[in-house]
Order: sequence, then C-alpha cells, then structure tokens
Amino acid sequence: MIDCEFDRRRFLQWTGAGMFAAVSAQLSFESLASAASTAPLPTNTPILVLVTLYGGNDGLNTVVPFTDPIYQSARSNIALSSSQLLPFTNSLAFNSSMPSIKALYEQNNVAIVQGVSYPSPSLSHFSSMAIWQSASLAGVSSGWIGRWLDTQPHSAFNAIGVGSVLPPALVGEKSVASMVDVGGIQLPWAPVASLLQRLGRPSASDVPLEAAAATSITDLFSTASLLGPLVTTSPTGSVLGKQLSVVSTLINANVPTRVWEVNLSSFDTHSSEQGDQNALLAEVDSAIGAFMTSISAGSRSNDVTVMIYSEFGRRVKSNGSDGTDHGTSAPVLLIGNSVKGGLYGEQPPLNTLDPNGNLEVTTDFRAVYGGLLHDVLATPVGDVIPGWNTALSVH
Amino acid sequence: MSPTPSYALRRATARLLHRFNFGPTPGQYADLLRRGLGATQATVLEHGRVDPGLASVNALVLADPGPFPPAGTAAATTFWNRLSAESGELVSWWLDRMALSRYPLTERMTWFWHGHWATSISGVEFPLPMQKQNNTLRRHALANFKDMARAMAIDGALNVWLNNNENYLQSPNENLAREFMELMTLGVNNYTQDDVTAAARALTGYSTALSNGTVTFNVAQHFSKPLTILGTRSTFNAESFASLVVSKPQDAKFITDRLWFRFVSGTTTPPSTLEKSFAGRDISSLVGALVHSAAWSDPKNSLVKSPVEWFVGACRALKVRPSTLNADGLQWELSQMGQLPFNPPNVGGWTYGQAWLSGVSFQYRTELAQLIVSKGDLSPLSVPKSKMVQACADWLGVAEWSRRTASTLATATGTPSTLALAALLSPEYVVSA
Repeated sequence: MIDCEFDRRRFLQWTGAGMFAAVSAQLSFESLASAASTAPLPTNTPILVLVTLYGGNDGLNTVVPFTDPIYQSARSNIALSSSQLLPFTNSLAFNSSMPSIKALYEQNNVAIVQGVSYPSPSLSHFSSMAIWQSASLAGVSSGWIGRWLDTQPHSAFNAIGVGSVLPPALVGEKSVASMVDVGGIQLPWAPVASLLQRLGRPSASDVPLEAAAATSITDLFSTASLLGPLVTTSPTGSVLGKQLSVVSTLINANVPTRVWEVNLSSFDTHSSEQGDQNALLAEVDSAIGAFMTSISAGSRSNDVTVMIYSEFGRRVKSNGSDGTDHGTSAPVLLIGNSVKGGLYGEQPPLNTLDPNGNLEVTTDFRAVYGGLLHDVLATPVGDVIPGWNTALSVH
Repeated sequence: MSPTPSYALRRATARLLHRFNFGPTPGQYADLLRRGLGATQATVLEHGRVDPGLASVNALVLADPGPFPPAGTAAATTFWNRLSAESGELVSWWLDRMALSRYPLTERMTWFWHGHWATSISGVEFPLPMQKQNNTLRRHALANFKDMARAMAIDGALNVWLNNNENYLQSPNENLAREFMELMTLGVNNYTQDDVTAAARALTGYSTALSNGTVTFNVAQHFSKPLTILGTRSTFNAESFASLVVSKPQDAKFITDRLWFRFVSGTTTPPSTLEKSFAGRDISSLVGALVHSAAWSDPKNSLVKSPVEWFVGACRALKVRPSTLNADGLQWELSQMGQLPFNPPNVGGWTYGQAWLSGVSFQYRTELAQLIVSKGDLSPLSVPKSKMVQACADWLGVAEWSRRTASTLATATGTPSTLALAALLSPEYVVSA
C-alpha cells in the first residue's frame, strides 16, 4: 500500500502526559441540527483557517533573503538560484514555487511575520509542535483552539478539522472540534443508522473517553445531516488542495464555523530538499490560490484569514545530503482580503546565530495568535493563553 | 470465588485481555472470570512457547527486488505494482498473526515496538527491509532492551527512514542521532545538541542497501576519533552508542513511561517503583510488573483502543482471519482511520486517546465493522433473546454495558448480526474503560 494516502501524516505525538483529558460536550443530535440549520454564520463574521505544515518547513527557502551572501555560502548545495526566486523587496524573494502567494502579496493580502518561534526553541518536532498547538511553553495539554472552543456556547460546528484524526490544537478542556473528511460524509448503512445513532446518547456511567466516543457518533450524524449534502462531489487535486476545496465549499455555504484546520506533511527535508520542498510549496501555493479565488468569489470574501505555519524552520547551514537539519524561527504567513499585507517583525540576521547555528527568534508565535484571537475570534487573549497579552495585529 | 464476578474483577480482567492480548477469544473472558485475576495475569503474560494459533499463517517470503528500473518505463510500473502488492501482503500477514495467535503477547509487544521505533514504508519504500525490522522487533519484543536498541541502531529500515544513509563523515545528518535519543531511548531534554552532534558522528560509516535493508559498515567512512556523548569520552560506533544511552537511568524511566502511556493511560503516570523492574532492561520483567500492578483497579486508567487494536480484537472475537477480508477495503479503512501497520504517520508513532474518536473515524469504523460481522462467527449469540445482551458482553470482554448501550442492543436481539455490529461500535467496546 505504498500508494495509499499519507495525508494524515502528522505530528500528533505529544510527549507529555495529560493530553486529551477533555470531556466532550454532550449535545443531542436534534438540538445541534436544528441550531445549525436555523443559524447560519452571520454575515461579516470573521473566519480563521489554520494550515499546518508538519515536519519543519525551511523558512529560508520559502521567504528567501537572497541578497545576503551568507545565504549562498552557508547552503550552496540548496540555495535557490535567481531563476528560482520571485523577489518582492530588494532583499527578500518568494520561492518561485509560490506564484499565487506572490500575486496575493502584490495585492497587499499577505502578511509575512518574520522570525517566529518562542524563547529557547526546541529542535524536537514533537516538543515544538506541542508548544505551537497548545500555545504553552509549560506542557499544557489542551490546544489553543480547543480552549477557545471552551469559551464559546457549545456547538459541533464552532471549529472543524479536515481528516479523521483530531489534531491537538482542536482539543480543549471541555470541548473538541468536529472533523469532516475530503471523501464526503456518509451516514452509516440506512437500516442500522437509527440504531447506531442511539449509541451516541450520553450515559451516566460513561467514563470521559466513553462519553467522547458517544459524542463522536452524535457528531457524525449532525455533521452528515448539515454538511453531507454540501460536499456531494469528491474534490480533485492535491492532498492540501482537496482539503481546502472542502473548506471553501463549506465556508461559502455559510456553515456556522469560525475555525478550520487543514494540514500537509513531509516538510522534514533532511535530504534532497530542493526538489521535495519546492514541490510541497507548489502544492501549498496552488491550493491557497484556488482557495482564495473561491472565497473571493463568494459572500465571505472579506471574512477569511488563513494562517500558514510549521513547528520550526531549519538550520541555516545545509548538510551534506542536500538537506537541512532542525532549526528554529521561520516566517508565518497570514493571508486574506482583509489582511494588511506586508512585512511584520524583523528578519533574523544570518550572521548572528545561536550556538547551534540557528536563527534568532524575533517574534513570539503567541503574539501572532494574540492578534488572531483579538481580530478574528473576538476573544480576550488571556482567556485562551493565560498570562499572555501581546497581540500582533495584521488586520 | 463469588458466583457473580464483581464489576472490579470484570473490569480488571477485560483491561488485561484487551490491552495485552488484543482482546478475548470466544469464551475466554467468561472462563477467566471464573478462574480469577491471577489466572488472567498468567494467561496474558504467556509467551515464548510454540504458538499453535500461528500454525496456519504461512511464512511470508519476500525476495530482494533489486534497484528501481528507470522511471517512466513499463518495467518501473511493474516494479511499483510488485512493491505495492508485497506491502499489502506484509500488512495482511501481520494482522493474521495478531488475530490468530494463541499467546498474543509477543505480537502485541511487537506492535508496541513498531509504534516506538516508528518506521514507515512511505520513506523506506521497499517491503523487505520493513519485514526484517518487524522480525527484529519480534525477536527482541520481550527480551533485553539494550540488545534491541543495539540491533535497531544498525537496522536497515530505520537507517533509511532517518537519513543515516546520508550521514557522512564530512557532513553529518543528525536525524537518526536525535530521534534515537529523543523518541526511542532517553526522552526529550535528556541530552544536549552537542550530544546530538557527537552521536551523529558515531553513526557515520553505515550504508544500507535500499532494496533489502542490508547494512554494511565501512570503517574508512566512520568517525573513529574519540567523542563525548552524554559525558562519556570514548570512540563509538552505532552499537556502543546504543549501549551507552540505554545504560542511562533516564532510559528506564522513559521506557517505563512509554509502556504505561500505551497500555495503561495517557493521563495518569506510573508509580515510581515500576521502573525498578526495568533496572536490568529486561522487557518481560517490566511487562510482568505492569500486569501485576495495581493499575487495573484504578478507575482513571481508561484508554481508547487504537484502530488496529480495535480491529484485531473484533477479529479475534468473531474468529475472522484478516487476510480473508477484501484486502484493499481493509487497508483503505485502516488508513482512513489513521492507522495502517508499517505506515506510522511520522517517527513519533501513532496518536492516542481522544484523537481516535472523531465522527469521521466512526464512519470508517462502521464500514470496517460491517466487513467483519459479514464474515464473523456469531454463534456466541445463539442464546435466548433475554440473555443475548449479557452474552454479548461476556463474549467481547466488556465489563458492563451502559444503560444506553444495553437498551440499544436489546432492540436488536432479533438480528444478531445487527446486535454484534452495534456492540463493536459501542463506546464500551471502542474504549477500554
């Protein structure tokens, strides 16, 4: 099964204990379906779309400081040549695999936050992704979107991930997001459907995980009844393209969802980086281009903000396998028709590296989250990230 | 022994069977409830004997297919089709072993170690090195962890997966060095970046043949000068590096924690005494201590069965041989649920807990359950209707149905296949409470 789908490759492994302690909200199918069908997302409600790049995307070959001589000398075997660059300032260029994002940048719809990570970055995929998804340096088990869900009136539709396995960011202490799949949503075989639906009812004797299992059954029935008819044809295209196609369809149908999550894996380019990363970035670029085209043509044109991030960037100096080892800070891209495009934060200098040869951190990712919580989700930052109050606004 | 086993006994017995043996075979749960907890503990720990359950599982012999033909040729297509078919056979072969074993602890531990040394055929590409790794993990599954770590440090599939084929004297690649310490032996924060840099050098000089996983050592390509790793200054090779890291006290805690995490709970922590049973790095002694621990009476220690564990448990109860199911369908459903053997999502292994419990997963789980029930032996439900719901709990190893599930199942006693389907999909069967 070499050719089977690997779109669910992702770093869900959390090394700390205590993850997923959430007790899912108990809601009846009837109340959910009725609330959802009678309450489409109000006009002008902002929507957040998270695009998670698993594996550690090389920021220096994404947004390239191409005039810095160290860029060429430190990674001569993987440095992009002038024909592989789309310059947008005197010193920075997009990887030429990103023409759509470059065009969106020129329309002033792409904010590039530079040098993003957190203090003393971990070079571990799992520790770093746990920090990004929990928005905590202290091993908090819940995800940041999950904790936002905890602040909201319960609904199966508040946040939705695409796929079957829940990402940690979407798991709160009380609430979890729902999932939809690119293959559409099918209710179980009709003759037993009503019987199986009964298994989704809460029971007083359930331990928390049994309650979560029951809720997932109810969630399937509620998402299938509302979303199923909207995703009637299987989308075509790349792994990420299909996911974003489902999201744009559902956003344009006014589904009452404020946060979406999609993801792409295989950015861990320890070898043969140029070919692999360029292809991955091309996939991201064409998927984002098609998504923004679809959103811009619909009624939610100004409501949507996309955030593209990875758990870390990569080492400045390349290795002998034409790849790069684990690094630290990297740019975060925020895209949307209401985003104020341009550069935010400072580009970390290539001549001032940490003792491991990695970039300095110039922006804390929690400031980016703070801006999104304030501007997009209209939620006090401290309610979701306790003790944090910095917000970098791109709106 | 009380004629009606207590809930505590029913729960502890069910937990041990599901977590260490992939769930009971028909009649086994009721039998062990009669014989008591000690008998269950002894039963789930049985291993190392000739396993009559595996007599019918033919050895899978994979030949070395040699290197890839030039891309774009007809030969390349044929070659890919062959690798794809053999990868599928490898999955079916292992699932059959899990489902048919009489003493499943060895397969269960091999499954645990597969997630621990998480190597994916998506990176290795050739099935033969994956099978060799699987056999290495099985050979060491309940033996000494130091020997396992030494074998894995020079395992072909792991070396390919974590780029050790590209770890050169002049330009080290840190991938294997870092993950070996972080994810496989010590845990994060128990080593420094300097240790990673030095360990990468200790791992130079090994080269793996992609199509068969044979590792050769070329001393001229190896960093042979002294290195300092974890405070020890010495010359190292892959195996002596593995021995050093496994000798650290953090290794005992790390492996004990990982075992607890996968077998007991993702939210509680092991008693500090448990790792003492791993002082000599004897895996069977640690597993034995875990099985005999007080964990099974603590109500907090519930766990979600992973998709494969759920699937194999259902196959064991319904006497279904996985390879008789539609192979493409089976592997599609498992991959949609996020857990196809030999395809862990990344080097960190499989996810856990609530992540397995989405509505979408329930959709695929339902399709898979229908496949199993259609081929299954439902004779344990051949009892009067009034006793069918309880008989189903005793058959599948469920300590107690909730009122919700009991009343749901009670409406299906006229159609045992529907009752079995609902039971396999119930929260009480999907979760080991």
